[in-house]
Amino acid sequence: MSTGQKYRFPPEKWAQREKLRRLSWVSVGMLLLATVITGLAAGQSQAMKTAWISDFLTAIPPAALLVALRFELREPTVRFPEGYGRAISVAFLVTACVLTSIGLYLLYDSVMKLVHREHPPIGTIVLFGRQLWLGWVMIAALVVSAIIGFTLGKLKTPVAEELHSKALRAEADMNRAEWLSEAAAVAGITLVAFGFWWGDAAAAAFISVEIVRDGWKNIRQVIGDMMDESPTKLGERELEALPLRLRAEARQMPWVQEAAVRLREHGHTVTGEVFVVPRADGLSAAELLTETERAAARLERADWRLHGLTVIPVRALEETSPPRVAPNAERREESRDAAD
Amino acid sequence: MRFRTFPVFTLVALACGLPRDPESTLQRVRGGTLRVGFVVDTPWVTAVDQGAGGVEGVLVAELARGLGARVSWTHGSETPLFTALHDGDLDLVIAGLTSESPWAAKASLTRPYYVDTTTVNGELAEVPHVVAVPPGENAWQVHVERVIESRKSELAALRHAAAR
Repeated sequence: MSTGQKYRFPPEKWAQREKLRRLSWVSVGMLLLATVITGLAAGQSQAMKTAWISDFLTAIPPAALLVALRFELREPTVRFPEGYGRAISVAFLVTACVLTSIGLYLLYDSVMKLVHREHPPIGTIVLFGRQLWLGWVMIAALVVSAIIGFTLGKLKTPVAEELHSKALRAEADMNRAEWLSEAAAVAGITLVAFGFWWGDAAAAAFISVEIVRDGWKNIRQVIGDMMDESPTKLGERELEALPLRLRAEARQMPWVQEAAVRLREHGHTVTGEVFVVPRADGLSAAELLTETERAAARLERADWRLHGLTVIPVRALEETSPPRVAPNAERREESRDAAD
Repeated sequence: MRFRTFPVFTLVALACGLPRDPESTLQRVRGGTLRVGFVVDTPWVTAVDQGAGGVEGVLVAELARGLGARVSWTHGSETPLFTALHDGDLDLVIAGLTSESPWAAKASLTRPYYVDTTTVNGELAEVPHVVAVPPGENAWQVHVERVIESRKSELAALRHAAAR
């Protein structure tokens, strides 16, 4: 036992971690390429401007993840005795805030364009010696960018599931929202082509709502991390059964009479405490220490993400699990039950 | 492959008459009246009788001839002209505008018909000259820009003749 244990990534997951790193580099590269393509074709279309900004925004999370990956496995120090595992959450927080605020700004911008009935002017461009309406070029650029987003999302999902990486899963969701909103922008510009001026700003508003939704989802997730939320299932709000499994396993140990488990997520890892009440039939202090250490090592094997699990022998436990909801919220729950 | 589908795509789009104008400006001007606002700015826009001449005056004449339209001229200063253009009371404003004009927020500036090389604050600079159309009248803007593109060399020659 040491205060700061170095986190060792399980070797069988190492290949996936490398894949995550490669995917992040590819993402940053491809999304910047998409940003350049949509930027060149942007003109004065609100939907294009919005798609362009969101292309650039979606390149930030993989970049932040790459930075976090460099820190994640660092050994604990005096200043950071818990290690650097939560670098992943920090990257996540930055992304979530940027996404939400820019999404809100773009939403405001496009709604104002609708309110002021601003007609989007789209002129011509000379490409390969041909004079084309810029709208067609915009649609072509959007299709390229949408294909990039679609492919990245499809590549990320299996890796995210393998690594139980919420950050990557959120990215995959974001890539999905990205190509969906680009499809919306194509529809918007097509509407403009048919003389419906509002198509552009309406598509832009739809895209910004998608950006805000992404941001909100990520903020909720990262706040959960910071509030030491119990591990949740990937991409869902439902709690994992891992604490219950650990408790059951601890209680099965012959020297344990009762156990309680408290877990939290640390970036890619899960850590926490297992409180155990030893049986009364007189273990010596030395035996108790041995059993505790063995229990910690054994319980950590229950899931590959578990790291730095602490087993604490206690005299008695007042409760084995906190209430499902906080007491003041419970009263509301009860009154709702009564109403049913 | 892509180079072959591009013209096909353009042809299909043209056949359907895309893009279209929300306020049907191009349709209305064709065989009708072309309402032009002008601000005198020699040699780009000069005063001739009740209407405008100069490089941009020639461009307007060319547009009107191609569409079989009569030109109705409005002389004024920029602010009322651009307000009228924005509200759809004018189809075109010529005022010796450059692509950096702050009026871009209210109107749609076309592709440059001529890039002038001139001295700005003691430095030689390229100044693209444009005309203004109502924002969002995309079929009309595409038409104006096609005429600009096809008459570029004549407009440049006019500019050089005026300079001499």
